[in-house]
Amino acid sequence: MRSNSVAPIRCVDARRAQMWMKRLLPVLLAFAASVPSLRAQTTPDGDKQTIQMLLDRIERLEARVAQLEGTQTGAGKVQPVSAANAPATHPPSGPAAGPAEVPAASPRPQVAASEPEQEMEHLEPERMDMSKTLLRIRGFGDVNFHGTDRKGTTNTFALGQLNLFVTSDISEKFKFLGEIVFESGPDNFYNVPGGKLNEFGVDVERYLIQYSYNDYFNLTAGRYHTAIGFYNTAYHHSTWFQTTTGRPQLFEFEDSGGILPIHNVGLSASGRIPSGGLGLHYVAEIGNGRQSRFPLTEEPVQNEVDENNYKAFNLALFARPDSIRGLQFGFSGYHDRLMPVGLPRVDETILAAHAVYMVPKFEWLNEVVLVRHALDGTSQVFNTPAFYTQIAKRFGSYQPYFRYQYINGSDREPIFPDVGRMEGPSLGLRYDASESVALKVQYDYNVSRHEQNYSGLNLQLGFTF
Amino acid sequence: MRRALGLLSLVACAVLLLEVSPGRAFPAPAGNLSDDTLAIIVNRSNPIEDLSLKELKTVFLGERSHWPNGRRITLVMMDPGLSERKAVLRDVCHMNETEFSRHFLQGLFTGEVFVSPKTLSTPVGVRKFVFNVPGAIGYVRASDVDETVKVIGVNGRKLDDPEYPLRIDVRAAK
Repeated sequence: MRSNSVAPIRCVDARRAQMWMKRLLPVLLAFAASVPSLRAQTTPDGDKQTIQMLLDRIERLEARVAQLEGTQTGAGKVQPVSAANAPATHPPSGPAAGPAEVPAASPRPQVAASEPEQEMEHLEPERMDMSKTLLRIRGFGDVNFHGTDRKGTTNTFALGQLNLFVTSDISEKFKFLGEIVFESGPDNFYNVPGGKLNEFGVDVERYLIQYSYNDYFNLTAGRYHTAIGFYNTAYHHSTWFQTTTGRPQLFEFEDSGGILPIHNVGLSASGRIPSGGLGLHYVAEIGNGRQSRFPLTEEPVQNEVDENNYKAFNLALFARPDSIRGLQFGFSGYHDRLMPVGLPRVDETILAAHAVYMVPKFEWLNEVVLVRHALDGTSQVFNTPAFYTQIAKRFGSYQPYFRYQYINGSDREPIFPDVGRMEGPSLGLRYDASESVALKVQYDYNVSRHEQNYSGLNLQLGFTF
Repeated sequence: MRRALGLLSLVACAVLLLEVSPGRAFPAPAGNLSDDTLAIIVNRSNPIEDLSLKELKTVFLGERSHWPNGRRITLVMMDPGLSERKAVLRDVCHMNETEFSRHFLQGLFTGEVFVSPKTLSTPVGVRKFVFNVPGAIGYVRASDVDETVKVIGVNGRKLDDPEYPLRIDVRAAK
């Protein structure tokens, strides 16, 4: 039997059942013959116990034989063994469940047949069918307290985003990924308020189907985070992952006053570039870009309708050298055409460069971005430079950090005239109370061209569940 | 005669029970393998014969998603706390349990990691999973290896090489 190296499990069971029968018959006969002998050597009480034990044992063995015979019957006639029919009898398991390949020479594949049935539960094929999905949901959330001396604001407790991160392995090559975020208003589009105060709304922040061909080519369709710089694709809508209480102003979301097209709807290709130890990667994206009508009071991400036929595109290249694990540096270029109301068409170019070093106990993030808006038919060009640097060191559960950030936009900037110049340091401490809960305290000092300088204190309890 | 027959039947029973007892592994493929040697196992259809520790790290951290034959890599980990897993985290990933969990969670969140590792509790389960999934890679003690899976070398060293780099901390395990 062992020489039959590619036998499917059911066939193996059938043959094993036959072998069991052959082995059991003489053994049972031997039992029958030996019972009087055993009886003669023990006391009457001991005899009864021994006999009962042996009878129980025989019953169990008979039941097992019957079970194997049943398996044989269910499997029908023993089929000729071939690699082609093997997958049907023993499907592959796990997320990689694709067409199974039977090992070329496996002298004892039938080992699985003799395992307890509960072990087989691990080998349930994991792929989509109509009666079963592999939807996985992970939650993230945070509760905050803000105190500030900024005019017109109050000290307040605030609920952060409640984020449901959803994934599903559709097949070996396809996967779904989504982020459904519940957050309270108001929104802030370039300092223009939108939405209702204190009212919760739902945003589908990411909505992706991913196709993974190999390490060099992955294709994603849907709503994604634009690969501008590092932070935007390293951190999404969970504060728990982030060292600080929030994103750098440069990478704030569109509905929180951010200046970048953080989200995009379209296609994104990514992968490694054969480059040896340099570890080059690429990302190439094409999508609707962002809504540009000013003033903005509506959703800035063009989920359904693009305002023009021109598509935004972005190309990013970055390296992760093998020799310095944790180091990543690279750049990206983004281009789109915006059509603000009452203004000429605006060519938007966003250039970004980053150098980050992240290991479990230390991180140093540096990014610089230039947003360039050129008005069509004129010589007017508006450059908005921005950067941030952030450094953190972990001491056990404690992680003190420092960040300095800077944005300098023109007051005549056609797309975000209210941003102006904003800069200032942040100093904070993150304490990981458990693997899933982080407590952060952060002090910010803000220098702004359009308002008086102000400072703020943020307390945040971030968690994953 | 009856005593001899009875004894014979008991011996036959014992042999039978040994033969059908579940989960019995084949002997380790090489002699003199101590129980502290950790074998990296892949599906027998996988053409890979050897991986460096650096390559293993990229595989075990989900940074590499496909084998050269195009199969998607499916990582099989053992339950947290087991000495085999501790050895992999220490010698391959250079991370502790918390860092490893967070690394994968963040990788899944960013989309860079396509699939999270499968976690199984027994060497038998790991063997069976690797046997059944063409792209699977896992680890078991050398004494738990059988011929349903393929053992690959590490850093050019075979399992029975004294310089083989992956060992379980037996004292810690006890």
